Formats: sequence, C-alpha cells, structure tokens
Amino acid sequence: MKKQFKKIGFCLFVCAVIIAVILISLVYVQYISRRIFEDSTRSLDEIYSQVNRSFGAFVERNWGLLESWDDAQVFSEAMDGEASAFVAEEQARWGFSDFYFLSEKGESLSIGGEKDLLDLGDALAALTEQRQPLMAGTVLSSGEEVTVFAVPVSRQTVQGFSYDAIAVTYTNSDLARSLNVDAFSGKARCFVIHSDGQVLLSTQAGGNVFSNYLVYLRAVSDLSEEELAAMAQDWAAGRKGLVRCEIGGVSHVILYQSLGYLDYLMLSSVPQSAISAGFLSVQKATINVLVAIFLLVGAVAVVLLVLRSSRLSRENRLELQYRERMFDVLSNSVDDIFITLNAADQHVDYISPNIERLLGIPAEEARKDIRVMEKCAVNYDVVIPKDVLESIPLNGNRYWECEYVHQNTGERRWYRMTVYHMSIQEVRKYIIVLSDRTMEQQMNQQLQQALNAAQSANTAKSNFLSNMSHDIRTPMNAIVGFSVLLEKNADQPEKVREYTRKITSSSQHLLSLINDVLDMSKIESGKTSLNVERFSLPELLEELTIIVMPQARAKQQDFSIHVQGTPPEHIIGDKLRLNQILLNLLSNAVKYTPEGGKIEFTVCPIPGAGQQYARLRFAVKDNGIGMSEEFQATIFEPFSREINSVTNKIQGTGLGMAITKNLVDLMGGIIQVESAPGQGSTFTVELSFLLPEQEETVSWYRDKVTRMLVADDEEDICLNIRELMRDSGVDVTCVHDGADAVDLAVTAWQRGEGFHVILLDWKMLRMDGVEAARQIRARIGEQVPILVLTSYDWSDIETEARQAGIDAFMPKPFFVSTFWDTIRPLFSEDQAARSAGSAQVLAGRRFLAAEDNELNAEILTEMLEMEGASCQVAPDGQKALEMFQNSQPGTYDLILMDMQMPVMNGYDAARAIRACGHPQAASIPIVAMTANAFAEDVRNALDAGMDGHLSKPIDMNAVREMIGRLLDRKSAPSADGEGENL
Amino acid sequence: MKRLYLTICLLLAVTLLFGACGRADSDSDGVTLTILGKESDLNKPYLTRLFKLYQDSTGNRLKLLSYEDAEFETKAAQDVAEGRVPDILLHFHNADLNRYDVARDFCTLEDQAWSAGLTDSARAYCTDSAGHLLGLPFWESSVSGCYYNKTLLTQLGLRAAATQTEFDMLCQVLAESGYTPICWPADGCTWMPQFALDPVFADDPATLERLNGGEIGYGDIPAVAEMVRWVQSAAENGWFGDAYGSTGWNDIGPQLASGQAVCTFIWDTWFYTDFPEGTYTMDDFALMPAFMGTADEGTYEGGNLNMMMVCKAGSHVQEALDFLAFCATPESYNAAFDGISTVSCFQGQTTNIQSPMVTEAQASIQAHERVSTAASKIVGYNAEDVMAALNAMLRGETDVDGCVRQMDEARLGEIALQNEVGGETD
Repeated sequence: MKKQFKKIGFCLFVCAVIIAVILISLVYVQYISRRIFEDSTRSLDEIYSQVNRSFGAFVERNWGLLESWDDAQVFSEAMDGEASAFVAEEQARWGFSDFYFLSEKGESLSIGGEKDLLDLGDALAALTEQRQPLMAGTVLSSGEEVTVFAVPVSRQTVQGFSYDAIAVTYTNSDLARSLNVDAFSGKARCFVIHSDGQVLLSTQAGGNVFSNYLVYLRAVSDLSEEELAAMAQDWAAGRKGLVRCEIGGVSHVILYQSLGYLDYLMLSSVPQSAISAGFLSVQKATINVLVAIFLLVGAVAVVLLVLRSSRLSRENRLELQYRERMFDVLSNSVDDIFITLNAADQHVDYISPNIERLLGIPAEEARKDIRVMEKCAVNYDVVIPKDVLESIPLNGNRYWECEYVHQNTGERRWYRMTVYHMSIQEVRKYIIVLSDRTMEQQMNQQLQQALNAAQSANTAKSNFLSNMSHDIRTPMNAIVGFSVLLEKNADQPEKVREYTRKITSSSQHLLSLINDVLDMSKIESGKTSLNVERFSLPELLEELTIIVMPQARAKQQDFSIHVQGTPPEHIIGDKLRLNQILLNLLSNAVKYTPEGGKIEFTVCPIPGAGQQYARLRFAVKDNGIGMSEEFQATIFEPFSREINSVTNKIQGTGLGMAITKNLVDLMGGIIQVESAPGQGSTFTVELSFLLPEQEETVSWYRDKVTRMLVADDEEDICLNIRELMRDSGVDVTCVHDGADAVDLAVTAWQRGEGFHVILLDWKMLRMDGVEAARQIRARIGEQVPILVLTSYDWSDIETEARQAGIDAFMPKPFFVSTFWDTIRPLFSEDQAARSAGSAQVLAGRRFLAAEDNELNAEILTEMLEMEGASCQVAPDGQKALEMFQNSQPGTYDLILMDMQMPVMNGYDAARAIRACGHPQAASIPIVAMTANAFAEDVRNALDAGMDGHLSKPIDMNAVREMIGRLLDRKSAPSADGEGENL
Repeated sequence: MKRLYLTICLLLAVTLLFGACGRADSDSDGVTLTILGKESDLNKPYLTRLFKLYQDSTGNRLKLLSYEDAEFETKAAQDVAEGRVPDILLHFHNADLNRYDVARDFCTLEDQAWSAGLTDSARAYCTDSAGHLLGLPFWESSVSGCYYNKTLLTQLGLRAAATQTEFDMLCQVLAESGYTPICWPADGCTWMPQFALDPVFADDPATLERLNGGEIGYGDIPAVAEMVRWVQSAAENGWFGDAYGSTGWNDIGPQLASGQAVCTFIWDTWFYTDFPEGTYTMDDFALMPAFMGTADEGTYEGGNLNMMMVCKAGSHVQEALDFLAFCATPESYNAAFDGISTVSCFQGQTTNIQSPMVTEAQASIQAHERVSTAASKIVGYNAEDVMAALNAMLRGETDVDGCVRQMDEARLGEIALQNEVGGETD
C-alpha cells in the first residue's frame, strides 16, 4: 500500500512539474507576444509616419515647385519652346506626368497646348477662390486616374488661355509606386483617403479597386458601428489612430493619421500575421527552445526510465527464461502437457515443449494458435471449448478425458485435461494440465480385450459344446442304440447286417465329425501348416471322380468334370488340402442336390499368376436347393447350417465350409459362392500353385505311337485333345461318330497307315464306343489298342467292353500324362502281370505292426489276415525296433507304425529302424498308422523316415491303396525305365 | 393649258408607272431571288418580317433554300462549287467560310452605300483580313464581357476594374471578403476561354493565319499559356469558389442573383432569358471588360453575326445587291428588329431593345470590343475540347504545358475529323 502511495505521489509530482512548465511557457510566450506586437505596431506607426511625412514633403515640394515656377515667370504669353523644354526638363526631374494651366472655370491647357477638362470638383473653389494650394484626384478623359497638385497664381494668359492656377499631375499608379511601402512583405495596403473614406489613391502597384474604405470596412470587417463611428470621427478630426479588426476572417491592424492637408489621411491596413511575422519567428524560436529543453529533459527522464525498466525487464526476462527453461526441462521429462491461456483472448502464454514429442505438434505452432490441437483430437472438434472455459468459476477447475492421435506416428494417447481458472497478478488465466493416461487406458483396453476374449472364448466354448454335444450325441445315439439292438437280434442275420450297416454309417459320420472338429481346432489355433509337394492334377481329379462319382450315381445325379483351357498337369501345392477343399464342395453339392440333379465340376487356368505360378479356378456348380442370401453371409462360419425342411434331413456338422474357407485362406486363395434358393449353387475357388521347374518328358512312345484316332461327338473335346497332343508329335485325327471311327480306322488300316491308338467316347449318338470297338476289332483284329474315354463309372460295362475288344478306360477329362500312363502297359511286355490289379496286393505280405492298443492290434491283425497277409505285433516302438533288428532280411515286407506308444514312440522307432544297420533298414516301407491325422503329423512321419501315413480308424481300402502303391514303387520300373528301390 | 399640263403629267405618271411595272413584268412578274441558309436561321422572326417586307415592297419573290443545320456547311459549299449557286448565301463569318473560294464566289461590299451605316463592330465582324466587306450583317447579337454586381461592389466600397491587375486585385479582395469573385461554370459551359483567346487572334490576324495554316500550334503562342496559367492561379486563389467543377449553366443565375458570386463572363441577352432575379436584379449589374490574362485592358466579345453574301455566279447579282441595300435601310431593319433584344448592327437602329448594361458601357465596349475570333475563326476550335483541357488541369491531371498540348491535340484532331467528313462528303 505504501509503495502504491509512493507511486501515485511521484506521478502527481511529475504532472505538476509538466503543468508548471507549460504554464510558465505560456505566460512567457504571452509576454513576449505582447512585447513584440507592441514593438511591431510601434514600428508600423513609425513606418507610416515616415511615409506620411514623406508624402507631406512630396506635396509641399510640388506646391513649392509650382510656386517657384510662378515666381520665376517661366511661362509667357507666347509659350515658346523654352517653356516647354523647361517643363520637360522638370518633368524628367520630378516625375510628374503632365503640366496644366487651370482656369477658374476648371478648364485646363496642357503644356502641349491641348485643352481639357480637369474635374477637380469642389476643390477647384478652394484653389481659385480661397487661393489655397490643392491636391485632388481626378480622371482624365482617357480614363486615366491622376492626382493633381496645383497652386493659385495671379491671372495670366498663355496662348490666349487665361489661367488662375498652374498644376502638375501624377498618375496614381506612378504615385502609388513612389509611395509604396515594402514593409511587411508587400502585404500592407496603403491609401490616401478623404475623411469620409473616399479613396484618393492606393499605394498598391497596378491600380486601385477601393472606392470608399469606410464602406469597405463596414461591409467586410468585424468592427461595430460604434467602432466605425469612432474611427470616422478620428478621421474627421484628423486624429491619428490604430484599430485592430478582422477582415474576411483575417486579423488586420489599421493605422491612420492625417496628411495635414485638407481632410486627407494616410491609412494603412496590414494583416496582423505580417506584423507578427517577426514575433512569430521569435515566438517560434522561443517555443522551439522551450520545447527542445522540455523534450531534452523529458528524453533524459525517459531514457533513465527506459534504462531502469530495461534493466528490470532484463532481470525479469532472465528470471522468466530461467523458470521457463527449468519448467521445460521438467515437463520434457514427463508425459504431461502444460498450457497457460490468457482468459481474455485465449492467447497461449505458455505451452510445454513436450507437446511435439507427445502429440507431434510443434510447440511454436501451438503457441500461435491453440486450435491446432484440434487436428489430433479424436473425440472433440473443439479441443478446449470456449463455453466450457468460461463456465469455470474463478479459482475453480474442471477436468475431462480426451484422446489424441500423434500427428506423426499415429499413436493414440489418452489424457485427463484439467483446467484451472486462476487470477495471476490480476490477470485471469486458464492453466491447463493434460495428464497422460495412456498407460492406464491401454491397460484398461487390454483388460477389456482380455475380458472380451474370455467371454468370447467362453461363449465359443459353450456354443461348441452345445453343438458338439448335439452332433456327437446324434450318431452316438444311433451306435449305442443299434449296438443294443444288435446284441438282442444277434441271431437274425438280416437285422445284424442292417444294424451293422447303420452302426458303420453312424460311426463314419462320427468319425468325420471328429476329423472336422480336429481340423477346425487346428486351423483356428493357427497350428495348421501346408504340406507342399509336387502332384498330378489329373490324378487329383481322378481321385475326386472316384470318390464323388459313386455318391452322385447313388442319387442318379449327372456329375461331370470339365477342363477348360490347358491347365498344367503337375503343380506344387498341398494336394491333401486341395483334395479336402474340393471334396467338401463336391460332397456338399451331391448332398444338397436332389436326386436326378446335375453337378458340374470345372477346372480352368486363369491369368495373372506370373511365370512361375499357375492360378487355377475350380468351380462346382449344381442345380440343388441353393441358399438364401442371409445364409450365404454366414456360410463360412463354424457350425452354420441353413435350417429348412430339406437341410434338416441332411446330415452335416456345419464345419465343412468353415474348414474349406480357412484352408483356402491358408493357401492364399479366394472362395466365392453364388446361389439362390431353389436354383442351385456355384462355389468358385481360385488358388495359385507353384509350377515345377521342368515338366516330365515322356519319350517311350516316340517310335510306337505317331497316329491316333479320336471319336467323340463333342467337338470341343476333340479340339482339346488335338491341342493337348500337339507337342507330342502324334497326328490326331478326329471324328464325331462311332461309325465314322470304324470306317476311318478300317480305311487307314487297309492303306497300311493304320492308327496306333484309337480313343473312343463311350456314349455317342449313332454308335457308342463299345459297339464301334467291336466293329473295329471285327474288321481289323487286335492290332491296335482301343481305349474308351468316359466321364462315367465304367465298372458296369467293363466286362462287355473288354469282350468288345476295348483295352483300357480313360476318365474324362483328357490329360496327356494320363493318356500315356494308360496306354503304356498296352505297349509293354508285362502287361498281363500288371493287369492283375491291386486286388491281391496284400496277399502273402508280411507285416510288422507296432501298436500298443491291444484292441486296435487285434483289429489290424484280423483285417490283414482277411486280405491274405500276416502280421506280427510289437507293443511299442522299442519292441518293434528289436523285432526288426532281429529279423532275417525279407522277413517283413512292410512296417505299420503307431505314433503314440509307451517306451518309444513311432517317430523315434522309425528313425531307429532307418539307422539300425539292418539290410532292409533303408528300404523297408514304414507306414504311420495313427490317430494323429494332421498335415504336420504326416510331415513329421515323413521326416522321421517313414514312407506313408494312414489315419485311424483303419480303412482297408486306404491300406490297400497305400501299401499297393508302396510295394509297386518298390518293384516297378521308373518312368524312364529304371527301377526304384524303397 | 392647265388641263393639258395635267394630262401630260398624268400620262407621264402612267408611263412611268407602266415603265416601272414593265421592268417587273419583263421578268415575268418580278425577280425571284434565291437565298440559301440554315433551316433554323431562315426562320428567325426578324428575317421573316424582312423577307415579307421586301416582297411586299418590291414585288420580287424570295425563294428560300435551306439545309439542316448539321449538313449545311458541307452541302452549301458543295452546291456553290458545283454551280448550283444561290443569289444570296447566309453565312456566319467563321472558319467554315474557308470551304469557299471567297474571292471567286462572293461580291465585296465595302463600296456599297449602306456600309457606312454599320456599327463598327458589325462592320469589323463582316470584314475579312484583306479589308473586304463580305456581307451585310442582319442578325441579333449581344455583347459578351464581364457582367458584375455593381451594387454589391458599391456596398463593399469597391469599384470595377479597369485593368487585368485591378481585376485580379478585385478578385482577391472579394475572395478575402468571403465572396466568389467569378462564377466559373466549368461543368458544360464552354465559352469562357474565348474571352482570353479573342484578343490574341483578333489583334494579330497573322498569328491566326499561321495557326490555321498549320505553321504553329497553341504551344507556340505564349498568350495561350498565359491564359491557362491565369485560369490555374484564379482557381488556386479561390476566385472561382470551391465548387466550380460542378457549377453549370443552371447555377450561374442563382449564384449571381443571390450575391454569392459577384461577376461572370456572359452576354447581355442572357439577363433577359435566363437570369432569375433574387437578392439582386438585372439593374444591379453592369458590364466591364473580361480579363483572363491575355489583354491588360480586357476585352468584349462581339456578337456572332449571320451575314448576307451576294454570290457572283448567282442569276441576279444586281437584284441581290439591291436586296441588301433594301435591308440596310433604316425603315427595313427597324421594322424587322422592332422589339428584338439585340445589340445594334446599324447605327440607325432604334427599335431594338439594347440592355442598359451595354448602353452604360458603350464607351468601354467601343474601346475594347473584339470580333468573336477564337470560336469562329480558328480552324478546328472546339470550345468543349478547350474546356476539357482546362478542367483536366484544374483537377490536377496535367500541368499548364500539358493543358496547352491537350488543347492543341484536340484542335488537330478536330481538323482531321473535319477533313475526313469533308472527304466522305466529296
């Protein structure tokens, strides 16, 4: 408080000093002004008194001059040249314009002898009657204004002209020029006037426009009538005077005094500014000096104040910088952002520099405009709403949560924004603290995600258990139920077969369900991997046909396979998974297509895969029950089955399409479905496969097959075969009818250019393939191999066909490799041995089976014995190893190896067998036989040195196929004629 | 004897009468004179009176031929040049007379008896540079000069100026006294510069000829720049008041009648036609010379007169000269101009109305009047162009030299335009 009073006192003192200085200056200026004006008017008076005296002297001199001429009797009656010369000489000397002789009547005679009339008015009487010298103004007949100076003389005559006075005239302009007062920069006007104001002459150069100065002053000056009357009285009395007035808004000083002759006065009018010009310069100089002193003192004071202020300011600034720097360092070490806003205009006073690190906003940019934070705000358009700020009471605070995205990294950060409304040094501020809550938020989110995952897993588990419970119980119910019935009706063979068939069916369904569940579990857990290997596409299609065709035939469905374009015959991929995908689609097609329906399976290459890859499109199209759009949206989700009157009667786990979709995804492909209820469905799968570096070349036929006859009523197939065979060097001749084929084959044979192979379609319009083969055989004998190309199961006609002379069957679609594989036995010497088929593949074989489960071992032993084979069982891997090691070479043809066994598992046993040094250690086929049916199980088995993998439960067909193939490989020659040792 | 004498006298009178009539009859009931003029000119009431009087008095016929005003100059000159010559041509003695071969086409009239009865200004107007009287002036006219409010000056203790210096002095005193010394209607009123240029060219016809001959331009005539400089200083000194740029024709009367403005450059008949009486009436005004920096003694501009010219190639040259003599008789012109407000063309003119202002200033007018020269004699002179140049300077868009240059360029442009139009007509 004391300090404040001190400040106020200091200010008052300064103000008082300033006012005192100003007042003193004004008084001084007034004093100087008055003194200078008085001096100026005195000077003016002196100037015009001098002019007045000069003019008076001028008048007196002219009168004296004239009187002297009269006294000298210069002018005679004759008015000779001497008088004229005298006047001319005097005129040149004194400057008058003319010389006149004047009569008492006012007539005049010039020195040149010209008569004129000088209108002297009333003054003439004073001249001629009162005999007084005269000065008067008049206008000559030429219009020129002149002033006449005359003196009375005794009457004389010149050239007959009687005169009573003589006079000289001065033109007013000349007179004015001689009287002109150059004082006051020519701004003064000087007149010779009569006492009534009539202007006799003006001293201004160039003429006179004033007729009566009193009238002029009355009209244009601010003089009152009283003042004008007083002045007129002065004039009448011949008094000297000085009047100040305004003329046309300009201050003038009017000075007048009598000329001392008649009522003539000398009047001067000078603008006060002209009089004060000197004063003004002094005044200006004085003021300038005062102002300069004042400014100097002020400047010194200001400089001192500024220096002091600057010093304080610098100290404050340094202190502020120190604090800001310290705060910056502190704030940089934390993840909280600090902002100070001016409450009045929300200008940023301070913002911690870590905003750039935390939000990616340069601090300088945010300092200029806090609204830049809006760019990274997630939930608020206005980061710090103005209305919210204004609603915070003084000394109050408010907080809310907000989320920002880092401008550069995109990282999300969460903050609690707390705004404090404070008054700092009487300035209202908002202090904003953005406390980092990112860790907490992320933790919360993770917890929430974990919770969600747990809830989801729980739900999935519940759903799974619910579904599984139902789906497992259904076949189990049948198995248990029919098992009970079987036991009760064991004595009735028909019922036993019936129940056994149904138990088998339910078991198969249960098995597929378990397989699917396990597959799904593996896929969803991300543990599924692909077993990539080179495989034959035709083989794949043939296998699919073998599986699907019987199912389709069972429902009288028209199942056909089409190959469009020229897909590669060998590709690298996971054949097993591809087979699974396609089989799922085809099985579903069969399953959901009514009896008599149509199923088309199309394979075609599509572009866009690159040079080293082949992209294939597999399309399964049926005209079955189709699907609703709603179901199509969920078809690939687990346990999804459309519920309607038709599907309810069809068994299914609801996992097939989910597995298919996941497998397609796993293989990097796409799967699409187009369907409509009642109009069938089309599933399309597109997958890319790596191409083998070099296709196998088959060259054994070069000298044996050069001409080939193809008969098929579908021209596209003919063209396709010709296109596929183009690179083989075989000349392909196509006909579209069996009869034509017979004619052409016979004709060619008769010409000695018989075909080396004849390929007949089974079903042709006029003559089918079997009949055509029969006629060909009848005409040309057994010379040429005849094959039937069919997409149907030929088992029904096989006997008839072979009797008709058909050597082999080829499944559609036509593949070159399949073709060569098919006809190769026909051209080989051990054809007969090969034709024995695989039916007896197990007969006489000796197996060593490692199986810890006695029941499974018994089943296996029984089944192998039913096939004519023998089997010795080892209870674990170690025992199996010992049995093999201790056996004589050739004791066993093949080892069947369970994987999960006590003592030594199957993998270790296989490795041990391969490494045991037994003569057959490297060659004896070892086949895994296990419930571990996943791809990695297969790969692990192969990695352990095994040659194949069979999944439990034991399917004898699969056992036969696998073992037959392995034994066949062991004994058969390779493609180029070399044998292969297993 | 007395009867014989009476009979002889009667026969002689009849003979004389028939003789007179016989001359007229010999030209099939009198001569028909053709008069060619502008359509609007020929319809002036005093001419109509004159023509009727002539026809009634002489029995001759007058056939009036006319063209519309805009095309008169080109078509009339073309008629004369191509031999379609009227007996009498009405023409303002202006630059368009150069379209004719004056010496070839028209009679000189200074030897006509009536020429001595013309006023000096009228005779001067109709006389060419060689001193030949080219026509009989028969037109209404006025005297242009500086008309000032004499009452106001008297009330102010001031008097009229007799010189340029006094006029400037007067303007300055009036301005200091709070009055607008000169009403300067810069907006659309274009005649003012003529007062400055008339003395320049009327007093020095050689300069006019050199200018029209293309030997010199305005820039070569110092007086032109003096006029421009005077206008500039007058405006700067406030002699035109503050709003002269927007002052136009309709403002002149009110400014003078109210006493706001003290004087203006105009003509006497304007007071009869356009002056709205207010604080001051026409009687409060008087005439003094116009001062615009080019003539110290000032100037009056004489009226622009339409004159009757006798065509040498006309069919009735003598009759045409007789017609002019008829017009120049006091009986004819006094009958024709009876009650018409105009300055007299004839010394014996008594029935016309002449303003007291002109009458009072008669001596000064006689001393300082000049034939209207600038507007009518300078080829390519366009008053609007001159005023436009002055206004541009007063707006500060150019200086004195630029203003003179602009005036000259406009004049040359006008000449080019006239030549172009003439060429097309030809």
